[in-house]
Amino acid sequence: MTPATLTPVQPERTAPAPPGSRFRRRGPFLTPYVFVAPFYVVFAAFGLYPLLYALQLSFTNWKGAGEARFIGLDNYTYLLTSEEFWSSLGNSAVMWLLIVPVQIVGGLAAAVLLANARLRLRGMFRVAFIAPFVTPLVAMAQVWIVAFDKDYGLVNHLLGLVGLPHIDWLASTAWAKPTLALLFLWKTTGFAIIILLAGLQAVPADVYEAAALDGASRQRQFWSLTLPLVRRSIAFLVVVQTLAVFQMFAEPFVVTKGGPYGSTTTGGLYLYNHITASDLGTGAANSFLLVLLVFALSLLSVRLLRSRDE
Amino acid sequence: MSNRVTAMTRRVSLTARSGRSLAGPRPGPLQYLLLIGLAVLFVYPIWWAISSSLKPPAEIIRDPLSFSPGSATLGNYRAMFHDVPIGTGFLNTVLVVAVKGAMTMFFCPLAGYAFAKYRFPGRNLLFGVLMLTLMLPTLVLIIPLLLEMSELGWVNTYQALILPGSIDAFSIFWMRQTIAAVPDELLDAGRVDGAGEFGIFVRIVMPVIRPGLAALGVLTAMNIYNDFVWPVVAVNDERHQTLQVVLSTLAQNVTGNRIGADFASVWGELLAAGSIAMLPVLALFVLLQRHFINGILAGSVKG
Repeated sequence: MTPATLTPVQPERTAPAPPGSRFRRRGPFLTPYVFVAPFYVVFAAFGLYPLLYALQLSFTNWKGAGEARFIGLDNYTYLLTSEEFWSSLGNSAVMWLLIVPVQIVGGLAAAVLLANARLRLRGMFRVAFIAPFVTPLVAMAQVWIVAFDKDYGLVNHLLGLVGLPHIDWLASTAWAKPTLALLFLWKTTGFAIIILLAGLQAVPADVYEAAALDGASRQRQFWSLTLPLVRRSIAFLVVVQTLAVFQMFAEPFVVTKGGPYGSTTTGGLYLYNHITASDLGTGAANSFLLVLLVFALSLLSVRLLRSRDE
Repeated sequence: MSNRVTAMTRRVSLTARSGRSLAGPRPGPLQYLLLIGLAVLFVYPIWWAISSSLKPPAEIIRDPLSFSPGSATLGNYRAMFHDVPIGTGFLNTVLVVAVKGAMTMFFCPLAGYAFAKYRFPGRNLLFGVLMLTLMLPTLVLIIPLLLEMSELGWVNTYQALILPGSIDAFSIFWMRQTIAAVPDELLDAGRVDGAGEFGIFVRIVMPVIRPGLAALGVLTAMNIYNDFVWPVVAVNDERHQTLQVVLSTLAQNVTGNRIGADFASVWGELLAAGSIAMLPVLALFVLLQRHFINGILAGSVKG
């Protein structure tokens, strides 16, 4: 008797649901929450909590032991007026210039060549280009140490063969950054090529045929068709690689230790050095400044790459 | 006659649309030359590292280019296994990849399923929070996470290596996209057969999205295998070092001193260690390249 008086409500509620979604209401109310809960538990414990902790820490003078004293914005003002902090950002900015434009232009050129429907061996090329991307960075960083050695390295050996002078790749302030940039480029350009190739292939063939019928040259097709259509892929890559370059850590950590004379101490490595120095309050402040900068740069690049749409 | 030919080429290029759209002129020798040159630049360092690791140390230094299969030796590997705790590193990495990877492979599709196929109060808010966490760089968490680990007494433990980041927002987002494409009728059929909510996920959703799971699996395994920043911070004793951390300490010895001990043999060990660390991922990549490429592309969809 009682169940009968209670049940009529439910069929009425399920009935008007849009087709294809009827079943969603059948399961217990809690089911979806239980399914998504593990992520939020892990994030609260190892994401949100440390984030708030870091925020609090950034206003203290804590050195990893002893008492933490609230010092307001001192860590931030210290960093913003410290030469080391700005030079770490400067190093990252130079790295960015050495890496991102080269990778986008070169990657796009390679992707255009690969996208040609009549190209043979495309699969083989693709495998060759992505192979560096899957190798462990630390292992390749070691290979870089050996290959770019001043006296016995592979690269100087090759330079010698064609009569060029040897270069002190890893220990001169002029060459250390390009050497690390080369490692980064070598490792991730295949990734860029794959993303750009997918962007190019999403452009329907008839668009090109129509352009060809209208008498547009290949160059013209590239500038007024291809480029605008892959702008989304380019924007994605610029954002992802900007984030990666400003957080760059393992390359200088393994290959140059940030030297010579701090010339390869990137934003990421400078942050790590606070840990080694147990200067954790400053380190926390440094991470927030770095994150703000990276956000600003990502927003800026998205803006710049979008604005031409209008 | 020529009309028919153009009609045919047009049809061909239309059918080819889905995969390869840029039907251009036949690529000339210059294009092949450029692509081959680029491919050599990309592959040669890997080949050079592996082949050099098989040379006697003195040979690596004397002539970096030479390689004769006849005089190949495993001497560098023997010395490296003797001097470096690389076996422990391998085992630790395998353990972390297995447990952390299994967590990703189970919990991320599960959450993705809920976001794709259930309607519940707060869903959009929860999903928005999830997407917001995507923008949080790992770097900002390193210091406080290390402190949290030391408060918990977890420095130098497996849980410190495994738990942070074990269920990541990006994989959930990716799996949500994948599962959204599964027809609702299939899930309804399972329900009619009396399967529970969890049973539907395990017996219907998971098998149907197998290709997506495979791509998620290889990419996750690669990322965890190659991960370096967090392990090098969270672990400093030899017993818990992952492979990448072991490798980096080896590199420190090399850059330290080059006079004194025979540094050619250290180079040999370095190349041997690097090569042996590369081989598993490279083998996996060559065998499962389609899944790798799908995985890499899944990353760009969010942009």
